[in-house]
Amino acid sequence: MTLTRRNWLRLTAAGGAALAGDKLFGAYFQPAQAASDEKTLITSCGICSPACGIKATVKDSAIRFLEGLPGDQSGRGKLCGKGTAGAQFAYDPDRLKYPMKRTNPVKGLEEDPGWVRITWQEALDTIAQKFGAAKQQFGAESLLFITGGSPDVWARYMNAIGIVNRIDHLDECFLSDRIVQKYTVGSKSWCNDFENSRYILLFGWDILAKTKLTYAQGIVDAKDNGAKVVCFNPQFSATARFSDEWYPIKPGTDLAVALAMINVIVTENLYAKEFVDNYTNFGQYEKQIREHFQQFTPQWAEKESEIPAAAIERIAREFATSGPAIVPAHKKTLCANYQNGTQLVHAISILNILAGTIDRPGGRYFSRAPSIAGVDAIYPPPAYPAKAGRRVDGKDKLPFVLEDGGGLFSTAAGGILEKYPNMIQACMINAYTAVSFPNPPRMFEALASIPFTAVMDVIPTDTVSYADISLPSVTYLESNDLVTRDYKALYPQVVVRQALIPPMFEAKSIGYVALELGKRMAPDYFKQAPGGDWIDLNVLLDEKTKRAGLGANFAEFKTTGVYTKEQPFTPRTTFSVAGGTKCQIYVPQFTAAKGADALPVWRTKRDLPSADYPYYYLTFIPAVHKRNSTQNNSILNEMLPTNSAMMNPALAQKLKVVEGQMVRLRSRAGAIELPAHLTETLRPDAVMVAHGFGHRSKLLTKAGGKGVRDGDIIADQTADEMFLAGNFGGSACIMDAVVAIEPV
Amino acid sequence: MAKYGWLLDLNRCIECRACESACKQWNAVETGIGLRYRIVHTRESGTFPKVATQAASLACNHCDEAWCLKVCPVKAISRRADGIVLIDSTRCIGCQQCVKFCPYQVPALNTVTRKVEKCTMCADRVDQGLAPACATLCPTEALKWGEWSKIAGQGVGMIAGFTDPRYTAPNIRFVLDTWKK
Repeated sequence: MTLTRRNWLRLTAAGGAALAGDKLFGAYFQPAQAASDEKTLITSCGICSPACGIKATVKDSAIRFLEGLPGDQSGRGKLCGKGTAGAQFAYDPDRLKYPMKRTNPVKGLEEDPGWVRITWQEALDTIAQKFGAAKQQFGAESLLFITGGSPDVWARYMNAIGIVNRIDHLDECFLSDRIVQKYTVGSKSWCNDFENSRYILLFGWDILAKTKLTYAQGIVDAKDNGAKVVCFNPQFSATARFSDEWYPIKPGTDLAVALAMINVIVTENLYAKEFVDNYTNFGQYEKQIREHFQQFTPQWAEKESEIPAAAIERIAREFATSGPAIVPAHKKTLCANYQNGTQLVHAISILNILAGTIDRPGGRYFSRAPSIAGVDAIYPPPAYPAKAGRRVDGKDKLPFVLEDGGGLFSTAAGGILEKYPNMIQACMINAYTAVSFPNPPRMFEALASIPFTAVMDVIPTDTVSYADISLPSVTYLESNDLVTRDYKALYPQVVVRQALIPPMFEAKSIGYVALELGKRMAPDYFKQAPGGDWIDLNVLLDEKTKRAGLGANFAEFKTTGVYTKEQPFTPRTTFSVAGGTKCQIYVPQFTAAKGADALPVWRTKRDLPSADYPYYYLTFIPAVHKRNSTQNNSILNEMLPTNSAMMNPALAQKLKVVEGQMVRLRSRAGAIELPAHLTETLRPDAVMVAHGFGHRSKLLTKAGGKGVRDGDIIADQTADEMFLAGNFGGSACIMDAVVAIEPV
Repeated sequence: MAKYGWLLDLNRCIECRACESACKQWNAVETGIGLRYRIVHTRESGTFPKVATQAASLACNHCDEAWCLKVCPVKAISRRADGIVLIDSTRCIGCQQCVKFCPYQVPALNTVTRKVEKCTMCADRVDQGLAPACATLCPTEALKWGEWSKIAGQGVGMIAGFTDPRYTAPNIRFVLDTWKK
């Protein structure tokens, strides 16, 4: 691949004449003649899950500018820095351009795979043959799919061939929260009505600083409306700056504070009586609840967390009595990714229930998004084969995780290498890189041990270099779909996702791969009806559009782009929790599993500072990047190209480290070396490193070789360890490491 | 003719840097050489735990007393009737006198073209009746843009680290008391 960027643009972009300038992509995007073909198209962002609506200017068949879509609930007519830079994903000259196969059998980060271009036909035939042979010889358990559970046709393909081992990153994300919400309030809710809240309590919740835009806007609105914001975070982040009170809490002790607040609210009977009496199981378990929380006094919590008992008491009272109050809990934030994160999200759910704001103005509410029919509803499949086989990630040890289906990245490497060696014979990876995993070197080693791996991605990530076959994926800007508003959805709303440009080179969607592998491996499941025509993705999308009442077909919906059904918000009065109708503070179902408790108990974080590893190790996602997938975007790379070891000057002085000096962070899992960056915003007993850097692929011309992988010093774990530690919600424990720091 | 300026609310910035991103995308600013017309500057003050931070999205202030314009030896820098100060790249010789004299470190050398570039206040958008890309994208209304006559009376003219406006007459004001109760 010796294409220069300019040659590449000549090949891919519309007019050669516009490329005459000496800027790179700039030349192409210079405002040209007034008579140019310019149009405005509506689509949805694909970088993070709220999928903010986009108004795109497409000029001479190229994406010129992306801005927010007025009237969209998610982004409210705005985009963040990542979304605005979106065109640079589509026009990244490093993109995978066509299917390739490796000719060098030796796999490693320093190995040249010896890529040879092949046709889609050959790629799909080979993958189908390899997967089919592995399944036939070693059973379905021999196939590992490191992919999301969607889209629906991909799920259908996995079901049709009986995949038991699918893993995703949710254990580093909202898995424990989703499990707890199912048993406390009935279903997952990612919607926070900050705007109408009077009191916002943030346990390590740092989504404003991470710029999940819809939430960040909500906090700013709440401030405008006079809400009080209280923040517990070991670092004074941008979120902390927006808070009226900030407490640099001892890492991993948010649970103690939350338990003590429940104690105060229950003991002093400050909870929202009407809600609690009518819509929760408080009455049924009142004795157990009152007795259980007695032990968690504010004085006890002060010893654990360093938050003064008087402050805990006052905040608990204010929280319960100031009007609508909310505690958000979401995603890779400090709170939910400690080993005690499941207990913490249970405590948070209880605080929200006691505030009486579940599905109420100013609280966590359930999305009013309409449902879009899936492929199985439109073309009912034959009965799927029963899923049988061993779980390489040990999910079967964790019944609530097994039931949920999300995760587990933190246990996969150990499963592949040690627990079930040689079990995994073939692997499919879509849009994930091993940089995501706790302890990436172990995961790379695991990948190298798998006889056959196919990887689909937009760019040649480190993980692509372990593939036997690599497949070029479309970006969201070259995709068609219907996207419901799920993160801010007070009323039903759907925004189109449409291809602003045709797929670059030979890029295809994962839906296409599902269909083509399905036709080859399980043809009966990919017919519109038994003996009928093959399922067609365009026809399927038309049918979904029609059934959801969005238009006669997808082409028609594209012209309007947005479906909005404004309606008053009617609070829920029944909560479908575990077969009942009430929210559960006390969760009897949790007692069915060993290591789980009906009420949240106190547990410490996994690794505590010791003589060998005296400092807390915290990681975070910076505002201008989405996990590890955006570092090769030319604009975002320039805004933040690398990471550093953030530490307090007082700590630096003690270690005899100065700004910019290389330091080695060493944990029981490994070591990383990176420059120190001194900041007064962080506790002096902690060091903090941004996630997402340390890509090594030489084909990533912007991200490759910059920064270090934060995960290299985060230990992976086993399901047995998680089970014994009460980690029944499956946290990957990415915030649990402790380290030694040495000047290099 | 109306003159334009910036109104920056220092409390509303979440540091998402959509302004920077939009600027680079709209103006097709060269990437990979650190060239940025707009930058979100962050400052820390105090000592842990009594610490404070501030984020300020700054670009060219299109000063009434524009030193860049005054010192340019080849008259490559000019001011439009609406106050927007522009560099004519066909005249720029890359001497960087303007870079040295701008107290806000705004003009910067494009190391590929060897010409100096800076924020144009998206003059091409302004001509189409649109706001600059940065202010259009800002998701929290921290950065606003508009007619100077409506901005001049708001907020204050100076923040810590910002050159005294008496020297340059910059077209920017700062809001500091957003949520004062």
